[in-house]
Amino acid sequence: MITPELALMLIFVSIAFVFAYLAVEERKLIRAVVYSAVQSAAFAFLFYLLGAPDIVLVYVPVTVGIYPAALLFLIRKTEEVENP
Amino acid sequence: MIDIEVFIKTFIVLALFGTAGVGLYGVIAKPHATKKIISLTILGDTVNALAILLGYRYPGGIPPVYTGQPPNEFVGSAVDPLPQALVLTAIVIGMAVNLLIIYIALQTYRLYGTLDTRLIKKLRG
Amino acid sequence: MSGVRKVASAVALLAIVAVLSLGAAAGGMGPFFDGIRALGTFYLSTAPPQIAELVLGPSYRGLSSYSPEVVTSIVWDYRGLDTYFETAVFFLAIIGAVAIYRGIEEPVLRRPASGLSPIVRAVTKFLIPINIAVAASIALHGHLTPGGGFQAGAALAVAPVIVIVVFSRRYLLERGVTKLKALFLRSVGLIGIALVVLIPVIWSVLSGEWAWVMQNQWKPGAEVFSYPAYLGGALISGSIWFLNLFEFLAVSFGFTILFLLISIDEDTVRSCMIRGGEECDRY
Repeated sequence: MITPELALMLIFVSIAFVFAYLAVEERKLIRAVVYSAVQSAAFAFLFYLLGAPDIVLVYVPVTVGIYPAALLFLIRKTEEVENP
Repeated sequence: MIDIEVFIKTFIVLALFGTAGVGLYGVIAKPHATKKIISLTILGDTVNALAILLGYRYPGGIPPVYTGQPPNEFVGSAVDPLPQALVLTAIVIGMAVNLLIIYIALQTYRLYGTLDTRLIKKLRG
Repeated sequence: MSGVRKVASAVALLAIVAVLSLGAAAGGMGPFFDGIRALGTFYLSTAPPQIAELVLGPSYRGLSSYSPEVVTSIVWDYRGLDTYFETAVFFLAIIGAVAIYRGIEEPVLRRPASGLSPIVRAVTKFLIPINIAVAASIALHGHLTPGGGFQAGAALAVAPVIVIVVFSRRYLLERGVTKLKALFLRSVGLIGIALVVLIPVIWSVLSGEWAWVMQNQWKPGAEVFSYPAYLGGALISGSIWFLNLFEFLAVSFGFTILFLLISIDEDTVRSCMIRGGEECDRY
């Protein structure tokens, strides 16, 4: 018996896992930040499904807005590519 | 016969563990400081998600905000508010600490001219 | 070297995931996808005033925090000291970042303000007031609907980021959002939190009656003091409304400071670090 919540959680957790792996393995750091933001968006949907609207309200601005902005400032001022 | 519901539940928990492991792998194995910071945010987010998942009530958890339904129904179906309260502060404080780490990385780049930890390790003085 | 290191990290990663899964499988992390703990049930049945009066009866209704939003009432009432010291950690992290940028101020240059295209600017000019209004509504209704000081502070902190990216840093400074003002408003927020926490104690010293630190409603053993749960017929949940408001100020302006600093031009920072603060302190 599959409820829609469980199916959606499965989808979003899978998206988060894939994009977390892509973010860690990506050599171009700006792309890594974007992948990390996608992973965070998937987690935001997961939090909504888990019955936590408070966490969604704090999580979306923090991890989709502020972290990428700060990291992009850092990357623009330092190095853009990670050497293997 | 495999119970599909148990499979999905186990998959969700294990995928979260796997994501935490990916974040930890990035923190340990990747040489670039910016990549370490990105991995650290992934690790922190995943641990927070696991904490929220611990407080989830299945089937049919509703958010812990009282909206005027019968009290027994609310207490009997709302999810656990305590992990949410802890994670709420953890996210904001974690963001402040991570921004401090970003500032320190920026200062490191100004002083050493690189953020590659292998190169920083070789520099002396 | 690198190959060995990769294999070692992969093995360590697998081992950690295996150990965590073993712990979860043995029930060591509590029930996943199951009921909730007794402590959670206690919070759920005491925080909303309607349920508390039904469950606890009028003699123990002081255990309630008079807020239908259970998460906010845990954050600011049941586990309030926890949040208080987390705010102290937040304060120290921001002070650390400000200390790295000590003595560095961008000199006033008459450069043309750089930014994105006019269409983006026009849209942003409409969006910023909406952002501020939503953040204020999240903060001020935080005791009734999902929201609160932390959420609203994070939501408002997005506004300076957008302004800096779309317009420029100077645009924000010319509108009066400077580092000193942001530091002042953040300090107002922190002092407000400390005052709301300490008012029961001050009152206790003055009146000779017993009261706890961070007391919201009266408690068994400290029956006399309690913040007003209703103000003019509207539910404000005692101290929770004030704490949400002050935390909103502290969080949003704390992050505003950080983004004002991180957006300073790198050449300016380097010249200030090398030559000292002479021309950098002029503002």
